[in-house]
Amino acid sequence: MTAEPAAGAPPGHGPAADAPTGLAALLDPPGIAPPSWTATVIGCGNLLRGDDGVGPVLIRHLAAVGVPADVRLVDGGTAGLDTAFAMRGARRVLIVDAARTGAAPGTIHRVPADQLVAADPPSAGTPPVGTPSLATLPQPHAVRWDQALVFARWLLGADFPTDIVVYLIEAGCLDPGADLTPAVRRSMERVQTMILNDLATSVDLTAGDHDA
Amino acid sequence: MTTVDLNVSPMGRVEGDLDVRVTIDDGVVSKAWTSAAMFRGFEIILRGKDPQAGLIVTPRICGICGGSHLFKAAYALDVAWQTELPRNATLIRNIAQACETLQSIPRCFYALFAIDLTNKRYAGSPLYAEAVRRFTPFTGTSYGPGVALSAGPIEVYALFGGQWPHSSFMVPGGVICAPTLADVTRATAILEHWKSQWLEQRWLGCSVNRWLANRSWADILAWLDESASHRDSDCGFFLRYCLDIGLDRYGAGPGNYLATGTYFDPDLYRQPTVDGRNDALIGRGGIYAGGAHFPFDQARVREDVTHSYYQGTSAYHPFDGETVPVDPERAQADGKYSWAKSPRYDVPGLGPIPLEAGPLARRVAAAAPGAAPHQDDDPLFADILATIGSSVMVRLLARMHEAARYYRWVRGWLDQIDLHEPFHLAPTERADGRGFGATEAARGSLADWIVLERGRIANYQVITPTAWNIGPRDGDGTPGPIESALVGTPVTDPSDPVELGHVARSFDSCLVCTVHAYNGRTGRELSSFVLNETV
Repeated sequence: MTAEPAAGAPPGHGPAADAPTGLAALLDPPGIAPPSWTATVIGCGNLLRGDDGVGPVLIRHLAAVGVPADVRLVDGGTAGLDTAFAMRGARRVLIVDAARTGAAPGTIHRVPADQLVAADPPSAGTPPVGTPSLATLPQPHAVRWDQALVFARWLLGADFPTDIVVYLIEAGCLDPGADLTPAVRRSMERVQTMILNDLATSVDLTAGDHDA
Repeated sequence: MTTVDLNVSPMGRVEGDLDVRVTIDDGVVSKAWTSAAMFRGFEIILRGKDPQAGLIVTPRICGICGGSHLFKAAYALDVAWQTELPRNATLIRNIAQACETLQSIPRCFYALFAIDLTNKRYAGSPLYAEAVRRFTPFTGTSYGPGVALSAGPIEVYALFGGQWPHSSFMVPGGVICAPTLADVTRATAILEHWKSQWLEQRWLGCSVNRWLANRSWADILAWLDESASHRDSDCGFFLRYCLDIGLDRYGAGPGNYLATGTYFDPDLYRQPTVDGRNDALIGRGGIYAGGAHFPFDQARVREDVTHSYYQGTSAYHPFDGETVPVDPERAQADGKYSWAKSPRYDVPGLGPIPLEAGPLARRVAAAAPGAAPHQDDDPLFADILATIGSSVMVRLLARMHEAARYYRWVRGWLDQIDLHEPFHLAPTERADGRGFGATEAARGSLADWIVLERGRIANYQVITPTAWNIGPRDGDGTPGPIESALVGTPVTDPSDPVELGHVARSFDSCLVCTVHAYNGRTGRELSSFVLNETV
């Protein structure tokens, strides 16, 4: 029995590139620098429901093989709201989640988030909403990364990371207590390689079409 | 007389959707049924697994109470394995549990409960415009800071637990962490910042000490009159608004309460046992039923499945509990209507009855006579219940009151950590045994019962606060706590029954519901109810 993978290195103490401006800046006590990460990788999903746990399982694999010290690993589990807080201080964000779109189990969808989150900030009396394209990507658990993204954009304001990529892996089996199905496990390993390459080479993740 | 059946769905979402159905007679709820719409499979998942599997599985039951699940799962194993806990481990566990609750308090208030205070139903109130200004989602002047600052206590949790909510850093024999002086200093700074920025500046409008000097309802009314900063704080405004729009007049609930208690004195629970638990508690447990206080005794807990989608009509103690699901569609013919079991407590002289769990239950336990010097001793809510009775407002106030008390405790525990002493003592793994571990999650009593045989889990039962509160009727036909709290609720506009939302949300049985609210959906869902046929 071991503890959960440590969430990367402790929050950095170097000055952020820009002074924080979003509501989340209220969190910083005087004299304590806000968090700063080159990249944050977030795995969402419910470990108790078969393939829905592929995101958190991938985070454990990444913790085991190791990532650069300035990369934060976040097991987002089923806590959507806190996924938004976890994006704080990250220059780029990679999200991995399970999906049910009707595609073959194991299909990998790679989605630049700027296509999913409406560009306009919420105006007075108008709660922010996702774009209609979200309706085509229903999630097998209730708390969805897309809602977290919309919330994070509100919470973080000008500090909302501009470089966000979402990997969705089509789930096969969602039975309580089930292991990952072979197709989803293979896809998870592919996504793991893609993420490690991304982190190593700092390529522009929003370019090109990498869908399976 | 007009009778209308309303289906309001979904209202909340712990372990799946909660469907609430009420019957309204002449504008007042006369009957209510709460139905958990999703099967909880984790007791079945855990059977036959490694004894420590509960530390991984149970924090995943819930996206908002992961730390509470971990806390009680660790104590259940500590009891089963007869471990020894170093002082630091008890202190860190206390800090982590309390910080999870401290984040939940403002989040529950602003992101879940207060949104309904802006409902047009209250447009006639002289305070309505101010409620809208403060509590409108995303743009309210109190909503934004309240929601953003709620993450402060979670940063404290993560300093010790690595992450939140799905950490597994509490293990039998202690905690797996090695905090430095810098971590403790940082944790203290974050907590103090949260206290000054949210709790004192925005919520109370006064110091923690001034608020905690309130020991009766008369004290609170005097506090309101004492200064403009009290009246105009979010707490002061909330009280004035509740009294104006009548949230002090319905939603009382069963009037009987259960708290398992939580937080341990680090010197009094070094060898965790079931028998030694009550005396070691800082936040006291206790039963209040039929007007009398009783000590909490886990042996008196039962789970009734008469109206639940499980086999039979039994009411077993959790050590002997079964989780044998049945086909809900067929089971409905037998009067079953929920995936939640009905937890009941066999009160001496009263028999097995439903009990309300949550902050109000804790405040009632804290007012019982006989507190030891290390224990919570707070008469405030006994006086409030005796003076004005339970209501939506009182249940909320109990939750918010805890912010001040728990802040003080966490600060004290942080100061007691001794970095030169151990945080974990390796336990002896025992192949056979029974364990009971419990805590108070933000929303109420949460407990695990574990039976180990030949080095494996033979039985594992979890009773959540949501189960205590939303459980269906039992074998006697007695409604569960939220079912009874809904009865008597006035519904002004059946096409927008915001009053039902107040009652259900006062129990704080969800956070996913909150996430919906962020997306502007909760209000729409409440209003997109299905009107059943008129009876």
